[in-house]
Amino acid sequence: MSALYELRDVIQRYEDRVILNLPHLDVPAGTILGLAGPNGGGKSTLMRLFAFLETPVSGEVRFDGRPSLGREIELRKIVTYFPQEPYLLKRSVRANVGYGLTIRHLPNVNERVNAALEQVGLDPAKFVGRSWMQLSGGEVKRVALAARLALRPRVLLLDEPTANLDRSSAELVRQAVFTARERHGTTLVISGHDHPWLKAICDDIIWLRDGMLSEPVKGIGDTWEPLAPQTKGTAAS
Amino acid sequence: MDYILDGLRQAMVLLFAGDPETFSAVWTTLVVTIEAMVATLILGTPAGFLLGYTTFPGKRFVRLLVETFLSFPTVVIGLIVYAFISRRGPLGEFGLLFTVPGMAVGLTILGLPIVIALTAQAVENLDRRLRPTLLTLGARPRQVFQTTLAEARFGMLLACTAAFGRIVSEIGISMMLGGNIKWDTRTITTAIALETGKGEFATGIALGIVLMVIAFLVNLVAAALRRRSGE
Repeated sequence: MSALYELRDVIQRYEDRVILNLPHLDVPAGTILGLAGPNGGGKSTLMRLFAFLETPVSGEVRFDGRPSLGREIELRKIVTYFPQEPYLLKRSVRANVGYGLTIRHLPNVNERVNAALEQVGLDPAKFVGRSWMQLSGGEVKRVALAARLALRPRVLLLDEPTANLDRSSAELVRQAVFTARERHGTTLVISGHDHPWLKAICDDIIWLRDGMLSEPVKGIGDTWEPLAPQTKGTAAS
Repeated sequence: MDYILDGLRQAMVLLFAGDPETFSAVWTTLVVTIEAMVATLILGTPAGFLLGYTTFPGKRFVRLLVETFLSFPTVVIGLIVYAFISRRGPLGEFGLLFTVPGMAVGLTILGLPIVIALTAQAVENLDRRLRPTLLTLGARPRQVFQTTLAEARFGMLLACTAAFGRIVSEIGISMMLGGNIKWDTRTITTAIALETGKGEFATGIALGIVLMVIAFLVNLVAAALRRRSGE
């Protein structure tokens, strides 16, 4: 499998603190990659780099064989990010789910909105007309996920997608992830603390601790032993 | 106590009989308020949005300046505008003194800091997740700008209602720049001040009722908008 993302000598620093230090990381196209590790380990920062929301202070992020620098606006059309605490626009569910489609001037917005809502287990007939104010916390998350799925992106980045979701909703997310890959060939990067869930869904899991690639010594998520910074990481290779 | 009740009774008669003098003041108030609001919104809304949306050197100073103007005494605004539009002033040739447009100029200066400050605040108080959300949904910079504007709509409307409430109930500027001329520049507030001074409580109370109804409606709209914006 060819690498979709190639990270080389990437360092991300906020003020004086190094948040991420990745000498080498490849993400193959079409894979489902898990990101695991303790809080503050650099998962969300790596997600933002993958989403082209941030650029590293040094090093290079390549996408599809070319440097991503200067192509961020274009790349964000095909890479989308589902954050830990998603935000909904002060509009209806239909407008929220259809936002990305509308700004891309894509056809069949209503059909795609309905299909995306069904994918996350929300009945379109009941939900499309609802206001953002009329949704529960779990529904907000599912509507936000539907907004990403409706785009049929090349890369879908999910930051702790099952946090605060019940078991059946987590199962819906799992199904939606597989559907996205099967139907549209979407590459997925999923971060989370629910290690059994990650293990069940991902082709490969990389572990981050103190901003570096790491490996669990014992069982998943038990203890951590960071590898040397020059360690070469290739997911799903 | 009787003269108050009597004044109230007569006020009702004036209102329901459509007393021309009373309604002339109401009409002038509406005209001058609308003129001032149009100018305030055309100038203040874009300025406030840009102040909240953009970052530039000296932004904090500009914010401080705008907030200082929020507490600018209205008589001083009246005095400065008077100096400019009086016959000897630099804008004297336009003949604005003691006219409705002249009053609107002063009231616009009163309303501008309110609209600018509250609009900037509405934009700055938008959820910090909005921008990254729009970017990751594929929005281009122009689309981010447009959607941010739409997201701030309730806060911006709230700024408009606040400015409207302030302008419609203002007296110092209207008195100084309008001259309280009967059938011409006499507004609700200047008429109340005059009629009360003359001991004509009925007209004062009638106009006061109209002003309170307007203030109530404005606050009703503001409360509804606050609820909608989730504040």
